[in-house]
Amino acid sequence: MSSLRTEGLTKAFGGVRAVDGATVELRDGRINGLIGPNGSGKTTFFNIVTGMIRPDAGRVLYRDRDITRHTPHRVAHAGIGRTFQLCRVFPRLTVLENMLVAVRRTRLRELLAGLRDRGEVERARHWLRRMGIEHLEDAEARDLSYGQQKLLELAAVLMAEPDLILLDEPAGGVNPALIDRIAGLVRDLNAEGRTFLVVEHNMDLVMGMCDHVIVFDRGAPIAEGPPSVVREDPRVLEAYLGV
Amino acid sequence: MRIASRGLPLLLAALAIAYPWLVPNYYLVYAGALTVMYAAMATSWNLLGGFTGYVSLGHSAFFGLGAYGTGLLVTRLGVPWVVALVVSAVLVTAFAAGVGVAAVRVRGASFVIVSIALVSMMNLVVQGWRSLTGGSTGLQVPSPFPGLHRGQTHMVFFYAFLALLALALLVWWYVSRSRFGAGLRAIREDEDKAESLGVPTGAYKVTAFCLSALFVALAGGLYALWFGSLDPIFVFSILIGSYMVLMSLLGGVRHLFGPLLGALIVAPAGEYFLIALGETQIHLTATGLVLVLVVLFMPDGILARLTRRRAGPSIPDQSADQRLQEVTP
Repeated sequence: MSSLRTEGLTKAFGGVRAVDGATVELRDGRINGLIGPNGSGKTTFFNIVTGMIRPDAGRVLYRDRDITRHTPHRVAHAGIGRTFQLCRVFPRLTVLENMLVAVRRTRLRELLAGLRDRGEVERARHWLRRMGIEHLEDAEARDLSYGQQKLLELAAVLMAEPDLILLDEPAGGVNPALIDRIAGLVRDLNAEGRTFLVVEHNMDLVMGMCDHVIVFDRGAPIAEGPPSVVREDPRVLEAYLGV
Repeated sequence: MRIASRGLPLLLAALAIAYPWLVPNYYLVYAGALTVMYAAMATSWNLLGGFTGYVSLGHSAFFGLGAYGTGLLVTRLGVPWVVALVVSAVLVTAFAAGVGVAAVRVRGASFVIVSIALVSMMNLVVQGWRSLTGGSTGLQVPSPFPGLHRGQTHMVFFYAFLALLALALLVWWYVSRSRFGAGLRAIREDEDKAESLGVPTGAYKVTAFCLSALFVALAGGLYALWFGSLDPIFVFSILIGSYMVLMSLLGGVRHLFGPLLGALIVAPAGEYFLIALGETQIHLTATGLVLVLVVLFMPDGILARLTRRRAGPSIPDQSADQRLQEVTP
């Protein structure tokens, strides 16, 4: 089944077409890589899919439902979660509070429920344990190291129970041990049935982790396929090296 | 510490209830009622400002509308004052919902400007609509307790405002412990991030805006019944809105009792300056100066200063990294 599908997505900022007719299809259950040179429109593509930027043209379908122009929280309710390029957590909330922000459905009963609702706190601790940061639950997020914040960000996204997770440079700015850990987590989460779309510049990580790689250049995909094939594709080499 | 944090509020509540009987004259009862009114309003303001970080300088619009709504219902339609008070507050809240939908679309400084524009517009409308509101000559509202003398009326309204303050504190406390409150705080920290986690930020902000307006409108309605005379220039002034902001910031917007503490300092100080300096504009300058100083040197307020952790404990990366070494082959 198709997870995410975009048709001819286009978005221009002034005269620059950041995303230019991008048609992409992701199949359920895969770890998809999204690579391309700086400025090729990867993050803008993320922002359009998650509803943070409205496209000038084109459609976004998730599980065959049209979610173009949905507000970001409705995209989240549809089952798409995301992390940000520069890791974003709520700095002055505690780690546990960060975990309890996610809203799965807009229901009055859920909103009026106490913050210390036991079921939710248990779920939060479960994810914190899997990230290995459960001992930090009472710390304010701003006191965590950057790597710990990255793990917290991913854990908080998982609280919303997304089926598709978009990761924007998960390995950016973290040490090698943590990169391995994050890659392991992504594989485990994928084995449990979650689909991923990962923007990443660390080619070893992309080639080692992803089942399928899409290459962007100038706002649209120019090649896609298994990592081993994409790696040898002359168009990809050209886009990256400019030869 | 625990005994102090539980016992102190109870002791202060008992003191507040006893206050009118402890002071030597009715002027101090009046000043007390005024202080409690401001405390209730600042606490209501903090339902929006403290949780979401949306600083409204225009909350006096809801104060003035609540006051005029109550006054007009009593004088023009002859509605019993309790009914007028409640109906007026409900109408103002509905109005706030409409305004909120538009106002909370803009953030930061733009929102502040919009809130100022709101109160200025209300001032012009009420002054201009002479046939209904009496215009700049003001509106006279008959006392709901004609049998009581002035001092006794101060006493009644002292307790009315105290009840309103208790209600506002209760609601703030309840929201702070709910998932709704966590969403509002997340909006303050990073609104787009909160959206991406499924928080319907627009609806949350409008709800906080309405709740906040509701209690300020109730305070306005009580004020109308208490003072019996409404002057549009005073009730729709930026000054009242600024007072709510100043009190909240001074005491600490992240704390339940922050705005209350701020009101206990600012309102008596304002009254004192009024007496000491007379009806000049100097107390306005003083208010502005204090606001600047607070923002510059104590942005988190007095309570945050008092309860602050010693030096932010940087959590060593080691522990996490050691764990990582253990789990990664």
